[in-house]
Amino acid sequence: MMDALLAQLPVALGMGIIGAVVFSAIGLISGSDETTTIAPLTLLVVLIGVPPAGVYTFFLAGAVSKHMTHAVPTALLGIPGDTMATPMMREANYLRQLGVPHIALRKMISGGVIAALIAVPVTVVFALLLAPFGGFVQHTAPYLFLIAALAIAYFSPGRWAAVLALGPFVLIIVALQNLTAAHGVKLGVSYFLGIAIGPLISDLFLVLSPAERARRKRDRPARFSLAPDVKRWSGYFPNPLKVLDSRQTGWTIGTAVASSLTFVFSPVAMTVIMGEVVASRIRHVYHRLTTTLAVRNGVTESTYIAEALIPLMAFGLPLSPVAAGPAAPLFNAPPRFTVDSASGQVNNLHNLLGTWEFLVYGLLAVVLALLIAYPFSMNYARRAAAFVSRNISHEAIIGTFVGLILVIGLWEGGLLGLLVVVTVGLVGGFLSRLLGFNIGVQFMGFYIAVLTVPALTALL
Amino acid sequence: MTMRNDRLLEVWNDTVDGHHLIGSLIIGGAVSLGAFQTAEWLLGMFIDDPRMARTYAMLFGIIGCVVGGAICAYLFRPKREVVEDTVDTENLQGVLAALYADYGSRGGVEDLPEAVRSELRELELEEAFLVYERDHAQGDAVAVTERDLGHAGREGVQS
Repeated sequence: MMDALLAQLPVALGMGIIGAVVFSAIGLISGSDETTTIAPLTLLVVLIGVPPAGVYTFFLAGAVSKHMTHAVPTALLGIPGDTMATPMMREANYLRQLGVPHIALRKMISGGVIAALIAVPVTVVFALLLAPFGGFVQHTAPYLFLIAALAIAYFSPGRWAAVLALGPFVLIIVALQNLTAAHGVKLGVSYFLGIAIGPLISDLFLVLSPAERARRKRDRPARFSLAPDVKRWSGYFPNPLKVLDSRQTGWTIGTAVASSLTFVFSPVAMTVIMGEVVASRIRHVYHRLTTTLAVRNGVTESTYIAEALIPLMAFGLPLSPVAAGPAAPLFNAPPRFTVDSASGQVNNLHNLLGTWEFLVYGLLAVVLALLIAYPFSMNYARRAAAFVSRNISHEAIIGTFVGLILVIGLWEGGLLGLLVVVTVGLVGGFLSRLLGFNIGVQFMGFYIAVLTVPALTALL
Repeated sequence: MTMRNDRLLEVWNDTVDGHHLIGSLIIGGAVSLGAFQTAEWLLGMFIDDPRMARTYAMLFGIIGCVVGGAICAYLFRPKREVVEDTVDTENLQGVLAALYADYGSRGGVEDLPEAVRSELRELELEEAFLVYERDHAQGDAVAVTERDLGHAGREGVQS
């Protein structure tokens, strides 16, 4: 076992460092949603044949780093760094207005550090407890996905509208799959990308329409105030336990453990709920602001780690919103990793890595992310935020993502693949905006289409 | 390229210039696709397995996306006014009013654990909280006036 661990160590180390550096930088750019960035790059790493340990550390170090540096635009500019940062905007804005945005930043990042370190061992233990049910879960996966999808839809902002909209949405995906199959094209990532980038695609269509364009006219540039930053420690690597007080550390640890166990729910919802639970127990309003931020950012880390790792280790099936979205290439990246919908057979990291490897490389990935993203965001937050907001225009970000749509769509399925990305994005974007049928529900809808629908039609 | 205020639009949660947006779509699309197609053609000559050649071509396509984005960033400046150091400490009481109205608070600064209290002191906020709590003693915290809320109140709600 030790030999196997050591043999893959160099590649695990190297890919973890690459993941941490790349996603520390991406985290600074607001609007860089996790699924649109983590999923395609992880897919690429899988398909060029990086060994399993490297794929795993790349993904995990990337996700953990991104959820640290995403605190920089959130705290200093008042723009959410990504989807998971949105539940922290309100508290961060108040601290910004009180003139202490650096406190918001440090509480968030320190909470993230502590939660990420705790989440890996907790997740591994919990996955081991669930593993005996793996065979049963793989057997009943089509129905479990249906139940999970209905639950996630009900708890989304759309409530019953989202539950009912699952039907038509699944129908569209089944129809698109039959259409592409008729031309010998089988698509996976194109759907993920379409769903994740739907809000951009639907917005681009909207501004083409004259009536909506008139509504979206702005008469001056957006105004942001960049808050000052004050360094209050000596050296390069601040101690997270000194940034948080003992109650904050306690709550961060408690919610990190709790949110590691609730791995089937939407990560954004868990972040909101855990924050509310803790906030209601803190008496003073200032203490409540800072504690909520530490806890919430901690949950963004722990819930991501748990939602990716528990389904991967215990079942090999993407049975959570994160596993179905940003972590999808760890489960399903044909031809290398596959999930067979008919038999429930899986061939992915689930089979390729053992328990010890999940634990040791998982901790390695988190430590690499901490060594790179944590001191970087603590020391250079302000300069990084100033650079991004002054030099990287929104047009440039949109241009990059449109390039990504073209490359991934054409790569996977030629012109048909591209049309599927645009169709899914347009429909999903509108459903999300108008009904609150959000991205997590859409991912589950995709899995109903590929797992549940074939199983049900086989019964008929 | 200079932007014009009459072409500003809100797209995907930020402000863009319509013409610059079209430019970015063309540049971003052309550079990424160009990189992908060229790489696929060139790699096809050296790599026997066409599937692998196509995967590596995707890598160059993604690099092309970033290069295209960098060109757009160079050509089109951000439509953001970034103002520095404008924390308006004069309005602290207004911010606190919005904060207390939004969250409510049980107990005052005096009841805080010493660690939190000294954190407030280091941030030079302790005094402001004490003043606010003195002026709005005894469950009066919710009764804030429109003037108190002011700008800070609206921003708090909007976020």
